[in-house]
Amino acid sequence: MKNDKFRLIIMAILTVMVLAVAALYAFEVIGEKETNLGAIIIPVIVVLFMVFFIRKRYKDVKEGMPMEDERSKKVLMQASAASFQFSLYWLLAVSLFEPFFARVLFDVQKLDASQTVGGGIAGMAIFFFIFWLYYDKKGKLI
Amino acid sequence: MKNRIKEFRAKYDLTQEDLARKVGVRRETIIYLEQNKYNPSLNLAHDIAKALKTTIDELFDFRD
Repeated sequence: MKNDKFRLIIMAILTVMVLAVAALYAFEVIGEKETNLGAIIIPVIVVLFMVFFIRKRYKDVKEGMPMEDERSKKVLMQASAASFQFSLYWLLAVSLFEPFFARVLFDVQKLDASQTVGGGIAGMAIFFFIFWLYYDKKGKLI
Repeated sequence: MKNRIKEFRAKYDLTQEDLARKVGVRRETIIYLEQNKYNPSLNLAHDIAKALKTTIDELFDFRD
């Protein structure tokens, strides 16, 4: 139980750090023409997920329940596996349709490396969040 | 896999939270188990059976 509280505190600190870095970056680049949106979107997704996750787990720990059990570990494992599989297709799509993403999302002819990688990682984060929600609520766990 | 956790829990007047605490899992896990939406590991099935003073065979229906 003490270990669970410690883990929650570490998670909260990490979330605040990610948020702080994203905020600093946002203040720096807002208004610039070629803003790397991925560098702002990814931390925002991570922070939203972490806030949701920490709130849920904090409630359990407060009520004297364990933060993790065999089911939550399985949910995490299956969501990770599924999001990894989907992110391979996503990364393939990002590289194949890069000119399309460049035009639609950034209004430029070509994406630079950091924008492509950022888009790929943002997709992975979104997939993980969706699969985690799916397996936690509805999915058939193996 | 069907189970009779809810029935046995009611027999011993235990809430889902009480049972979750006894076997060291989250309350959600007990909810999903009772709804037959989650198949527990052998260890967890054993712990639940022990907490409900019964056997795994009595508690779980393996025919499905």
